[in-house]
Amino acid sequence: MEQSAIDWAEAKAKSLAVAEYTVVEHHLDEMQARFSDNSLSVVNRLLTTELGVYLAKGRKRVLGSLSSTGRRSVEEFVEKLFASMNSTSAESDFAPLPAGGAGYSHNGDADASLDPFDQAACAKSAIQAALSAGASRVAGSLTARRTLVVQRTSAGLQGSDERTSYLLNVRAFADKDASGHGVSVATRLRDLETEQAGRRAGEWAKKSRNPRQPEEGVYSVIFGRTVAADLFQHVGRSASAFAMETGLSFLPEKSGERAGSDRLTVKDHGQIEGGPDSRSFDDEGRATSTTVILDGGQMARHLHNSTTAAKHGAEPTGNAGIISPRPWNIEVVPGSSDIEEMVRETKRGIFVTNNWYTRFQSYKTGEYSTLPRDAAFYIEGGRIGHPVAGFRISDSIPRQLGAVTLLGRERSWIEWWEVSTPVLQPDMLVDGVRITRAAT
Amino acid sequence: MEDKDAADHALAVALREGADYAEARLHRNVDTVASLKNGEAEPPGHGESYGLGMRVMCGGALAFGATNRLGREGAAALAASLVRNARSAAALFGKKVAMSPEDSYMAKWGVPEKERMEDVDAGRLLSALKDLEGEVLSAAGEGKMPFRLYFLATGVEEKYFTSTQGTRIESRVPRLAFSGVLTGRDSGMVVQRRVQTGGSGGWEVFEGLGIRERLKSEAGTVARILSSASKFMGGEMDVIVGPEVAGIMAHESVGHPGEADRIMGREAAQAGESYLSSSDLGRQVGNGQAMVSDDPTVPGSSGFYLYDDEGVPARKRSLIDGGRIGEFLQNRETAADFDTRSNGAARADSYDREPIVRMANTFVEPGDMALEEMISGVKEGVLLKNFMEWNIDDKRFNQRYVGHEAYKIEKGELKGLVRNPVLEITTTKLWGSIGGRSRELAFDAATCGKGDPMQGIPVWHGGPHMLLNGVRVGAR
Repeated sequence: MEQSAIDWAEAKAKSLAVAEYTVVEHHLDEMQARFSDNSLSVVNRLLTTELGVYLAKGRKRVLGSLSSTGRRSVEEFVEKLFASMNSTSAESDFAPLPAGGAGYSHNGDADASLDPFDQAACAKSAIQAALSAGASRVAGSLTARRTLVVQRTSAGLQGSDERTSYLLNVRAFADKDASGHGVSVATRLRDLETEQAGRRAGEWAKKSRNPRQPEEGVYSVIFGRTVAADLFQHVGRSASAFAMETGLSFLPEKSGERAGSDRLTVKDHGQIEGGPDSRSFDDEGRATSTTVILDGGQMARHLHNSTTAAKHGAEPTGNAGIISPRPWNIEVVPGSSDIEEMVRETKRGIFVTNNWYTRFQSYKTGEYSTLPRDAAFYIEGGRIGHPVAGFRISDSIPRQLGAVTLLGRERSWIEWWEVSTPVLQPDMLVDGVRITRAAT
Repeated sequence: MEDKDAADHALAVALREGADYAEARLHRNVDTVASLKNGEAEPPGHGESYGLGMRVMCGGALAFGATNRLGREGAAALAASLVRNARSAAALFGKKVAMSPEDSYMAKWGVPEKERMEDVDAGRLLSALKDLEGEVLSAAGEGKMPFRLYFLATGVEEKYFTSTQGTRIESRVPRLAFSGVLTGRDSGMVVQRRVQTGGSGGWEVFEGLGIRERLKSEAGTVARILSSASKFMGGEMDVIVGPEVAGIMAHESVGHPGEADRIMGREAAQAGESYLSSSDLGRQVGNGQAMVSDDPTVPGSSGFYLYDDEGVPARKRSLIDGGRIGEFLQNRETAADFDTRSNGAARADSYDREPIVRMANTFVEPGDMALEEMISGVKEGVLLKNFMEWNIDDKRFNQRYVGHEAYKIEKGELKGLVRNPVLEITTTKLWGSIGGRSRELAFDAATCGKGDPMQGIPVWHGGPHMLLNGVRVGAR
């Protein structure tokens, strides 16, 4: 059998007599079509292999990634890592890698290959759907990705995990101030909804013509799925034990403390049907699993790797990151409502379909602001009114988590430019949201 | 740089396969990063990214691709596949892509180092961080700074660019970057501060940036805000912003809307568009005091380069001159669309990313006032020395900066610290309200995100102190 980077890296790690190692190859085959002004603007193709190496000895550790995969480069790189490890002092936070187990179970959620995928034709389909729905100008990107992760550890664990994902992001314009956004996220080509995403973007664009600027104040706000997903990706990141240790988490430090409305249950899934970031094992070689982060509004568990778990007396959750545990795929458990009911229940509010540029005054307190973009609508007396634009949500995520009054029963996977951690998300009604706007 | 022969061979293959234009970029990034979390070392990290990125144009279609399976064979396979991709998609390029005509260049350039970055190991980086930790703890006071996180990274970026038009450019840029988050807590109150700085050059950059003094000062300020900052009462008033705030304003509301690819809609579905249109050169967007530039050639800067990633020479760009739009940032693709020449703004952050229009070092030009003179002329106002929360809409018109270290000004005198004043303002109101600019010029480092796939590019932004007359300021 032909040897590759992972073999040479493993052999070199063994020859250096390190106490622990992981070696991993990440293979990527990615096709992307980007479009703007109803036309393709560029087609991209990436074919790359990257080697990841982790070494440990005597409470000293080091991490590395290398994209040159020739034997000499790999061996020199591992030697460099070894020397670097020895140049540092021992760490107080340290836990050994997990020992061998029963192996890994892949949930089978992937296409066999990207072969039937025609990026240009799919992009054209999305553009046409948006134009037919009333848009005059359409932009977006369509990405198809096949990943193969092959990993071995000094504890005898070895795994191989192959996935496919398809991400479509469409933005349609009906005029300069009227735009709509559509997303489709799938792990199988058959589930990619190109026309639906394009149509949705076009319809929102058409409905959002001639927006008015709302008054500053406190409103009930319907967070469309894309907006709510942005909120909950930050919940997922805040659940990392590393974030908690470094003041970058707005979630409670202790399990059982209240973190939000009792309507909210939030989970992280290492593997879930339709979850584009699924993996059967984490960076330490531990099998991934499902972790409940918020359970009926109470802090349930943080996300841990071996080191953070040992430090906090918790069980690892299969979310390593050697340094920082990370969420894989976030799920917000659905409610029983829908947009129509949320509108009916709103006396004075705003429906926001998309947002961007979320920034925090403090990750610890969760004080933040974000800018709605694309279609948004004023709601008065339980009815949707005129389109609105030119305002900002200026609030606190912990406060909003406590003010969720309705959750939709329908959900979509959301991942796009602003939401990089995938979230399975329903629509959501939040009371008492502060809206501000710029001085002119 | 090795593999130059393979890159040149890829061009020949692209032409043979029918490309109208091709360019290839060998691109290597070698990085070392050390981190310290609440005084404890985390494992150091080393990254070596190296591969070939390539663009081909064929029948008005543009294809980009990348591989790290190098050698003549791998490069040739990439070139041939990109020509096929471009050709098969050409019918859907309703708007044909073109490149502006530019001269060809042969050059080799680099940033000098007194002490080579590669010679600084992770142990030395960690040692430097531990020194910083000591300064922070002593400045903050016992138990007042429970969360500290620092990263110190060194890196060397090397490139070889070659094109079918005969340009050959080799470059080498070493850089250093520091970032940290300080979180102070006292009596249930929390104040958080993000600090970022960096530059290009050898290890001497670390001392040159004065990171130790900066962190000590920042930690002391967090403690002072916790102990003494008073509630801010908003209203219409004069505002003085420090260089850090002036810099982010220049970057967000002048640099970004002046990127020609945004203006032509190429980034519409991701990073957004612009409030400006292609006919807005010369448009009045501010008063005569509004002077903003972008300059890749600032020595020691994080955004330093002499040729861009399309082989076009770098030069200073005047973005707003006396309140009027001076020029847009252009690469060859956008310049062809605007029927002009590139001003050298094409950048890619690694071999597997296409070169797109980017800023380098964006700043408000210094003026002729002293800060004391500015303050003395303010009857009622606030000084926003720096900021934490900020954002701007995707047309770059409605922006917000929330002050971190901020002082009330009364009757021409600087008074005590105030908590979280909020400047939420439109772009034209902002640049139309400038009452003066101070003489000094200071920069901060940042990583600017744009593109799909995302690219984080090192930049500086900065400026002098800048006086804004009669603007509304709110409170968080």
